[in-house]
Amino acid sequence: MGKHHLGEFEEVVMLTVAILHGEAYGVSIIEEIENRLKRSVSMGSLQTVLKRLEDKGYLASELGEATSVRGGKRKRFFTVTNLGKEILKATKDQRMSLWSAIPDFA
Amino acid sequence: MRQKSPTPPYLILTFFRWFCDPRMAEDIEGDLLERFEIRLTTKGQFRAKLLFIKDVLLLFRPSMIRSFQGQQKLNYYDMFKHNITITFRSFLRQKSSFIINLIGLSSGLTCVLLILLWVNDELKTDRFHENSDQLHYIMSNHTDASGTRTWKGTPGLLLEEIEAQIPEIELATAYTDTHEFTISTKSETPISLKVEGKFASDHFLSVYSYPLVRGNASSVLANNSEAVITKALAEKLFSNEDAIGKTIEWHFGGNKKAFTISGILENIPSHSSEQFELLLPWNFYHDELITFKQWGNYYARIATVLQANANPQLVTEKVDTIFKNNLEDTNVDLFLTPYSSLYLYGEYENGIQAGGRIEYVRLISFIALLILFIACINFINLATAKASQRMKEIGVKKSMGASKRSLAYQFLTESILICLIALGISGLLTLLLLPGFNQITEKEIALQFDLTLVLSVVGLVTLVGIVAGSYPALYLSKMEALSILKGFKLAKSSGGIGRKVLVIFQFTLSTILIVSVMVVYQQMQLIQNQNLGYNRDNLIYFEREGKLTDQSDAFINEIKNITGVENAAISGFMVGGLNSTGGVAWEGKTEKDQIQFWEYNVGANSIDLLGVEFISGRDFSEEFATDQDVVIFNETAIKAMGMDDPIGKSIVHYTGNKKIVGVVKDFAIGSLHQDVEPAIFLNRPASANLIMVKIDGTSTARTLQEIESAYAEFNPEFPFKPAFVDQDYQALYSSEQRIASLSKYAAALAIIISCLGLFGLTAFTTEKRIKEISIRKVLGSGIWRIVFLLTKQFSALVAIGILIALPFSYWAANRWLNDFAVKISLSWWFFALAGIATLVIAWLTVFGQTFKAARLNPANNLRNE
Repeated sequence: MGKHHLGEFEEVVMLTVAILHGEAYGVSIIEEIENRLKRSVSMGSLQTVLKRLEDKGYLASELGEATSVRGGKRKRFFTVTNLGKEILKATKDQRMSLWSAIPDFA
Repeated sequence: MRQKSPTPPYLILTFFRWFCDPRMAEDIEGDLLERFEIRLTTKGQFRAKLLFIKDVLLLFRPSMIRSFQGQQKLNYYDMFKHNITITFRSFLRQKSSFIINLIGLSSGLTCVLLILLWVNDELKTDRFHENSDQLHYIMSNHTDASGTRTWKGTPGLLLEEIEAQIPEIELATAYTDTHEFTISTKSETPISLKVEGKFASDHFLSVYSYPLVRGNASSVLANNSEAVITKALAEKLFSNEDAIGKTIEWHFGGNKKAFTISGILENIPSHSSEQFELLLPWNFYHDELITFKQWGNYYARIATVLQANANPQLVTEKVDTIFKNNLEDTNVDLFLTPYSSLYLYGEYENGIQAGGRIEYVRLISFIALLILFIACINFINLATAKASQRMKEIGVKKSMGASKRSLAYQFLTESILICLIALGISGLLTLLLLPGFNQITEKEIALQFDLTLVLSVVGLVTLVGIVAGSYPALYLSKMEALSILKGFKLAKSSGGIGRKVLVIFQFTLSTILIVSVMVVYQQMQLIQNQNLGYNRDNLIYFEREGKLTDQSDAFINEIKNITGVENAAISGFMVGGLNSTGGVAWEGKTEKDQIQFWEYNVGANSIDLLGVEFISGRDFSEEFATDQDVVIFNETAIKAMGMDDPIGKSIVHYTGNKKIVGVVKDFAIGSLHQDVEPAIFLNRPASANLIMVKIDGTSTARTLQEIESAYAEFNPEFPFKPAFVDQDYQALYSSEQRIASLSKYAAALAIIISCLGLFGLTAFTTEKRIKEISIRKVLGSGIWRIVFLLTKQFSALVAIGILIALPFSYWAANRWLNDFAVKISLSWWFFALAGIATLVIAWLTVFGQTFKAARLNPANNLRNE
């Protein structure tokens, strides 16, 4: 699993997409991250990461229906793929094994 | 009223759309807008906009930017191929408008190509000299009460002074205008030729860049008995032998002298305004030949090469100071002018450079562009008129997703392609027409491809393609796919107005050109028939050479007996004048009375021979022994000197005291551009170097032959080369003649192209209205009524065009005529005639079409539907 390595921000984005569960698109992802983690995210960095994750096959996307808001532009909804889920779990397992290896953590 | 909600900065949004990968653009733009809207409510307009800009700028990163290669390139290629196929198909489908466009554009382009070559040639003239940038010519401004006249002449004595005293002058040369001399060789087969030669000082070939084949530029003219000839002349005189060191005999009037050839020149390039075959040493001319070597005589042409950093203005002052130190109380100012500009800007008005040939260069280029523009209008008109036939194509393409831009590209491809085809045709036409064109313009232009020419032609064709194609491209591509496919016709007004304006414009231009041709023609007629104050018809002259210098009386008596010869005399009269002098003094002359007189050295009875009328007094005559000390003035001269009763009064000429014996009516010195200027006739047959003969003109050829045989008896070793005074006079108007013939062709071309366009338009509109016509016929309308109906609309357009053209052409004609001292009066019928001619031509063009349409059997057209 060495080559399938998630960066910190990548992990945050993937988890947020998973949390939003079918309602994850650009703005909602940013808002979710901002609300939960109190950190500000620029659209540029988010879109770059989304694109990279999609290229790797961890995320899938499809365009939604056009609505009258947001200038009639469609939303692109992201979902976590099975591969993505596996990677997330693997990342979590790695962290947990590290945690459990700490002898004494005050 | 609904208030418009604030929008994100448009420029930034456009920027985003431009750079963003199209696969992601839509949803990201949506996100951007959504955030913007949220921020509008939470953070206010200003912050929202600022944050929007920040978002977009942060999105501008490699992963977001669209790729500029790959698929899209392939797509362009395919579209291009597709466009060309479609273009050829539409050419085939609309043969008549294709051919009309092709004829129009290719003749327009041919016209422009020829003019481009000509302009190129004009601009190159006299700019080939290596020193071109430093080459300055010394000119003289002669001021008197009537104004300032500018001449090329300067005193020859100036040369040595400026060479010695002005350090900024690197090189200077004095020379004369080109003159015709007789040259002979003393070989086994003696040759005797008339050649164009000039006297030039030793630096002539260093100042100007006329390259030598043989000899050293700085020394070939240094010796008083050495001469330089061109390669062509050397071949004529000595065929294949080496000409260097050979002797030629030079004859002029009674003078003759042997010169040794010291150098051979390359033939003078056609881009030189000075054309000559022979150079003779200036010092010989200056020291031995002439008698008028004075500071007040302007017989020399002086050119200088200044140092690279010299200020011409400063040098002008120095030259003028030297001149004035030597000639006090003069009304003449000397000044320097760049030599390379003299050819195109050679005319001076009151001492200030006032155009010259450049005006004709501009005028002709302008006319050529107008013609091309008229052809472009045809293209635009026919393309928009035929739009309805292509609407389905456009509709289908649009519904398949073709953008406005790609459709515009398609129509531009079409127009550029037709321009390229037209360019090919006009290239061939140019090659074919070039000899004829050279004849009219008196040039030796060859079709040489240099970079600037090719670039300008390619640029021109692209430009024409874009100009001609842009309107149809915009017009056709903006139509709505839905309305086209649903079957709505184009709204009738749109395009129609533009088309009408263009037709009006075409006929405005055509009418202006027709009026110009008429005015130029009338003016030229007037000039041909104008009474010049002398009778130039059947007047021939030739040089006095050899025995004719001392035995001319015997010769004149002999030729007077030839049938057909009315009179003959020794004369020094030349059209345009030869010398002018300020060296005349009279009683009551003040310092301000600085008058330049045109000076004519003539023999007895020669003024009568010219047909110049006497107001009072008499001509020079052999019957009066004292006649070598008398002079004759023209009216203007007497007026300028302010004499009341001139006959019998004395004046002081620089050759001595003279008595006035006659006053003649004013006559034209040169062309009718000039006003009449003071003139003085001197009875100095020895200095008059022509023999003038008046013939009756009934059988000119035979009379000339007999004069020639009489001449050959006297002067066997000299060639007989008579010239006609009326031809000399014509030559003064060569540039006007050229304009006259060029504008004739231009006007014809303009009206033909305009009519072609009109023809195409009528064909189209009658075709469209064929059902209407048929119904009218069924309901009882007559043929002529229908013809009238169809012609009415076009007539109105053409008539408006004519009405617009008239004031313009009146103004232009007036401006052109202002240059002439004698001019036609512009009467109303000129304009009426031009207008009616245009209208009639337009009617004739339209008539064939409308008449055919009106005669069709209505049943054939109404049967279906």
